[in-house]
Amino acid sequence: MKIKDAEIISLMQNPRTQEKGVRALMDAYQSRLYWHIRRIIVDGDLAQDTLQETFIKAYQNFHQFKNDSQLYTWLYRIATNEALQQVNKLKKMQKTDEDPEYYMQNLVADNTEGDAEEIQKLLQNAIQSLPEKQKLVFMMRYYDDLPYEEISKIVDMSVGTLKTNYHYAKQKIEEYIKENYER
Amino acid sequence: MKEFDIEKLERKNIYKVPDHLFENIQNNVMNEVKANKKAPVFKLNWMYAAAASLALIFGATYVFNSDNDQSKDVLNSKTLAVNNHQPKTESERAYETLEADLTSVENNNQTGSNQGTKTVSYTPKKDVENRTAPQPVKAVGKKEEIKMNEYLDSFSNSEISELASNSTQDVYLDLYN
Repeated sequence: MKIKDAEIISLMQNPRTQEKGVRALMDAYQSRLYWHIRRIIVDGDLAQDTLQETFIKAYQNFHQFKNDSQLYTWLYRIATNEALQQVNKLKKMQKTDEDPEYYMQNLVADNTEGDAEEIQKLLQNAIQSLPEKQKLVFMMRYYDDLPYEEISKIVDMSVGTLKTNYHYAKQKIEEYIKENYER
Repeated sequence: MKEFDIEKLERKNIYKVPDHLFENIQNNVMNEVKANKKAPVFKLNWMYAAAASLALIFGATYVFNSDNDQSKDVLNSKTLAVNNHQPKTESERAYETLEADLTSVENNNQTGSNQGTKTVSYTPKKDVENRTAPQPVKAVGKKEEIKMNEYLDSFSNSEISELASNSTQDVYLDLYN
């Protein structure tokens, strides 16, 4: 039986049932958040650490959660911030003469399943070639099917800007695939 | 490829996932949560902190001041005591010793009051009263001597010998004559 957000919030707000609440929160959102983080970071181990940190921060700062937003919106915001921090750390650690886009595409190749379709690999490479904001908007809209209003709360951008960003991201990805796909 | 619509593509996750991924994540998170609960971080409200600091400052000031007052009082009383008990002169000490001896003589009935004689009726009260005044011992001694001589002169020889045989000699009296 799937536990509802209201029930998770109630468990998290009571110190006696907080541990149960954390478990319920993880059961409900771990998969969605993991794949959101993984698409941004790509590296498996780092994605695992980042998801753990996301849940710990959610637990430690749950008193800051206000019921005027959806629980998953709040969790996505924490996860996105944590993931972007990790990516920035990675970029700082890489060699200065190495192209960040090239670095991320190598990471995609190292982390992809052996039997993955060529077009799926191209799609991931195309996503990594996008500017950061377009990348975030595209992933949340395309994979998670989040409404623009919720994405707006996660990345602090207006709905109009998000729609424009999504449109350009989609256009760039399609062009990338058309150019690089070989049958 | 001429035509391609990304919306028609299947949404797939193509990255490798380690075994027991979510189980490990949950265990790690729960361990962290339990550790946090065991050692809760006490967050002090700044208003309480400010109030406590003020109370401490005023309390410390009050205690410090009261200690000073007490020590001043003690010091004053000591000073007074010192002032009140100025070192006595040798003559005063001698006077006090003499007075004590005379009193002890009175207590031992050496004045002869139980003998029903003239001598008995004489109690050198005046002398004692005079001695309370802080006068030099020698002056008092001379006065007393004169008075004593006057009284002794009023006795006949037989009366004196009778008196002497009935009284006991105070050995210490000689020391001050």
